[in-house]
Amino acid sequence: MQKRARLNGKSPGGCGDGRLRAGAPAPVRVGDLARLATRIRLHAVHMVGIQGFGYLGQALSAAEIFAALYGGGLMRPGWDRFCLSPAHYAVVHYAAAAEVGLLHPEALKSYGRDGTELEAISTERTPLLDLTCGSLAQVISGAIGFALASRYAKDDRRVFALLSDGEMEEGQTWEAAMFAAHHALDRLAVVIDANNSQVDGQVNSVTTLEPLADKWRAFGWRALEVDGHDADALVASMQSTASERKPLVVIGRTQILGGLKSVPATADGHFLKLDPALKAAVIAELEARLA
Amino acid sequence: MLRPPYEIVLKPYGKALVELARERTDIICLSGDLTRQTETDLFRDALPDRFINVGMAEANMIGIAGGLARAGHTVFVNTFGVFCTRRCYDQVAMAIAYPNLDVKIVGFMPGLSSPGGPSHQAIDDVALMRALPNMTVVDLADAVEISQAVRAVVERRGPVYLRLKRGEIPVVSEASRRFSLHEAQVAKKGREACIVASGMMVPAALVAADVLDANGVSTCVINSPVIKPLDAATIVAAARGARAVVTAENHSVIGGLGSAVAEALAEAGVGVPLRRIGVADVFAESGSREYLFDRYNLGVQNIVDAAWITIAPTKPVPAAPAMPLTAGTYAPV
Repeated sequence: MQKRARLNGKSPGGCGDGRLRAGAPAPVRVGDLARLATRIRLHAVHMVGIQGFGYLGQALSAAEIFAALYGGGLMRPGWDRFCLSPAHYAVVHYAAAAEVGLLHPEALKSYGRDGTELEAISTERTPLLDLTCGSLAQVISGAIGFALASRYAKDDRRVFALLSDGEMEEGQTWEAAMFAAHHALDRLAVVIDANNSQVDGQVNSVTTLEPLADKWRAFGWRALEVDGHDADALVASMQSTASERKPLVVIGRTQILGGLKSVPATADGHFLKLDPALKAAVIAELEARLA
Repeated sequence: MLRPPYEIVLKPYGKALVELARERTDIICLSGDLTRQTETDLFRDALPDRFINVGMAEANMIGIAGGLARAGHTVFVNTFGVFCTRRCYDQVAMAIAYPNLDVKIVGFMPGLSSPGGPSHQAIDDVALMRALPNMTVVDLADAVEISQAVRAVVERRGPVYLRLKRGEIPVVSEASRRFSLHEAQVAKKGREACIVASGMMVPAALVAADVLDANGVSTCVINSPVIKPLDAATIVAAARGARAVVTAENHSVIGGLGSAVAEALAEAGVGVPLRRIGVADVFAESGSREYLFDRYNLGVQNIVDAAWITIAPTKPVPAAPAMPLTAGTYAPV
């Protein structure tokens, strides 16, 4: 398995190595991000299809967000930080990493299996992540720690953190939001996969998060809302700059099933059951998009 | 170790941290809106660029500490013991302990030393922190040890919970004392009874041992500031052959020093009767340190009673001396 510099604190003292580097590597740029997103979905279907159930909805909803982050020229591997808050999204992280050459595609076959390095819920062992945590809403605080560290080091790293919408029910999200704005952490960019899905159903059936963008603005952030299935729009919003020194949040509005016609609308998006017939139908639909 | 009344000093931790941070530029100091109370006003004033007041947001503070540590910093997190353990346990577990980061969590106002009632009284912090893999747990209430422990916990890579008395800090150790994260201290030798104490209960243990000695029960005192990893070898060696072991801690009797000693003795096959002096699995109340330590049985007499009743149950228990507090000094209850 090819690995980027491990920046997830496996060695005592964390990952101070990177800031000693003279220059940053070039970011990965993939020409057709929509196609990349489809290939990410296809990988995810194959990975989840081995066991017949799993966190496929996360990959279906966030495929364009990961295409933008991993292939959109935003992140310089080993330099900029990537923090994955909802660890259930590990599947889409692996799929995207394989697509841009950071993971060997063969490794994807071990996803979720006993003893694998590619655990279904990402952990400290998970390759290629600077930070992740299966206990939700913690990662944004760690991302802030990275942003502060970059400020102390006077380097130009950006910190990207992917958050899900359901975890915004946790109070820590808003503790962190207040802090980041107060300290004008403008190298911090949060992208939210706003798919309106959590374990017990639709987020808006459990609690009212909206108006989400206004909430972040009220907490002092620069908030942009985009179609989360438009990878180019996601890239553009994450590359956008402003004169004011504020952290950036990009709210990507998505559908938990990624707009796939072959999946019944009543399916449980958080933990999708994928029998052989459904798997074949989804693969056929995705492959047709690539044809 | 010295006997009461003790001289007191102020801010030994805050001074030691500033001194070390001048040398170690990787150190960052976080406070949770309790800056003066955690002696870190000294850091804030001396090294303001590396001081961050995160405010009343402990979950966020622990996460930020983790991020800074992953990027190579050594981070001191400062607040009251209740707020950096009980309030944000999952964050300490996932953001600090599991990734084994260089974050030193400093919790002030241990046990019943707070007049603030159960919300402010850390009676379970040692138990909570001890249960976390990778975490070192240290309980200190002696200015000499505190001054040395700051450097020691930085030199030990990985997470540490440092439990400190707030306010007036007694000088209990001789100036020659060398604090160790690996070795408990045989503060007094003796054969028949063995008292193992940490933090604010060390002075009471010393006086209780003197009382027992004076009444014919030779008593040793083990000062065990490091509760995890426990120096089981020193404790087992002292307990073997004794007729009673008494643990003394300003903490619940569940999960702290008493539990750790019980585990060590049982695993070593040392079948000596054990009595645990500590908060007896109850939530306490508001009150002065003197009142609460007396009311919740954390006094010298309680330690004497525990040893005496085990060793000489038919004889009258000797009385602990009265230790009136005079201004500017410190004494156990």
